[in-house]
Amino acid sequence: MSKSHHVEKATGIGDPQCFKGEASQPKFSVGDKVRIRNLPDIFYTRSQMYLREAEATVVKLVYESPPAEDEAWDNTDSPEWFYSLLFKQTDLWPDYPQKFAGDTLETELSERWLEPL
Amino acid sequence: MPNAKEMTKLGETIPLLESIGKEGRVWSDLCQQYGVENPDPPWRVTLESTCEVLNEGACALPVLERRNEEDELSEDLYKNVPHPERQLLALAHSMIKKGLFREDELSVQMEKVYKRLTSV
Amino acid sequence: MSKSDKHNHDAAPMVDEISDFEVLEVAVRELCIEKGLFTQQDHNEWTEYMHTLGPLPAGRLVAKAWLDPDYKQLCIDDPVKASLEVGIDWINSMPSKFGTPSDYCNPRILVDTPTLKHVVVCTLCSCYPRPILGQSPEWYRTPNYRRRMVRWPRQVLSEFGLQLPEDVEIRVADSNQKTRYVVMPVRPDGTEGWTEDQLTEIVTRDCLIGVALPRADRKADDKRPIHKAVHPYGH
Repeated sequence: MSKSHHVEKATGIGDPQCFKGEASQPKFSVGDKVRIRNLPDIFYTRSQMYLREAEATVVKLVYESPPAEDEAWDNTDSPEWFYSLLFKQTDLWPDYPQKFAGDTLETELSERWLEPL
Repeated sequence: MPNAKEMTKLGETIPLLESIGKEGRVWSDLCQQYGVENPDPPWRVTLESTCEVLNEGACALPVLERRNEEDELSEDLYKNVPHPERQLLALAHSMIKKGLFREDELSVQMEKVYKRLTSV
Repeated sequence: MSKSDKHNHDAAPMVDEISDFEVLEVAVRELCIEKGLFTQQDHNEWTEYMHTLGPLPAGRLVAKAWLDPDYKQLCIDDPVKASLEVGIDWINSMPSKFGTPSDYCNPRILVDTPTLKHVVVCTLCSCYPRPILGQSPEWYRTPNYRRRMVRWPRQVLSEFGLQLPEDVEIRVADSNQKTRYVVMPVRPDGTEGWTEDQLTEIVTRDCLIGVALPRADRKADDKRPIHKAVHPYGH
């Protein structure tokens, strides 16, 4: 694994800024309801197990970047849109107390992990 | 990337590191003895730098891999060692398991360093 | 008073022995350099950079935002630019000049309201907004905190001394990708007419992570329970 793949590209610009404009049109917009796909894990992932198959709402389109799963293998050819997603804690954890049903969790995933609800 | 077989070997003790973990004097003990209040040993920052630069360039030891192993080792072999000594042992352990250097090389280097530090 | 007495009075206590750990740290580093895993220069650059880091810039960012609604909006719209105004350059001051591989360049300020409380965790590996907040505290890195904060946030927060009513939404932000979060808490009572410097002092690191609320009477984080040493002095 090498991290030097995008040194020239990113110097003075920043990462993930250097990937701006490289992803295809985002599939999802703010407010969309999605489900987290349970893709098979190759060794490396930054998509937490506890999110799999849960429902979420898109709250922000945060940046374009190669997904961590690709970047780990030095593959930066296909940046995707990354989304900030809002989950209800009561959806994530079956025994989360109902009286705190307003509690939420926010985290980011790349487009490949999302399917429309 | 380490395969599943190599990862299960993470739990095997490395005698040199085990003995340092058991007998080495940790910073909190040294502080108590000498009346020093600094919460961190002077080597904490250089340890962090080592962890960082190993994640750069040729990326000899990526962060996620090192942290996963540090988590595992912190709950197993080095669970009785406080931080940041635990992080240091876990780093050395990961590097030996990954074949970046050998236990005997580390032992020899430690002797050289000790001689140098105590000869002043 | 003799000369040696005066010297003893003035000298700060220091640890006068070399521990195995100190030796181990140097040995690991030197082996890495010998094996070509990194250069002494790269390592020095990082160490110099790390020494510059601490929580004050983030505290000042919050203080400025409390005093200036336009700056607060900048913190929301362009946190990289907002960081520059407190002296932090997420892109260019890193040794790498494009953000560190661990911290990247996507800071995000999470704005609390009276009915929304943010708290930050990184379940995967304890990512943290180091460029503006300094090194993470030990408790933040433990599997204990990382596993439990997403699952039982109210319990973990109450262990930190923070209990919030049911009608306050607790939003846990899990920084699993390239974004690094800093919490902007609600400005506390009792700070009317305060200067930016005064406000900066009470926005401590724990407030910026989200596990504490700033208070007019507190300028330092409470001590956290840490892993007990197995070799206490005298063992």
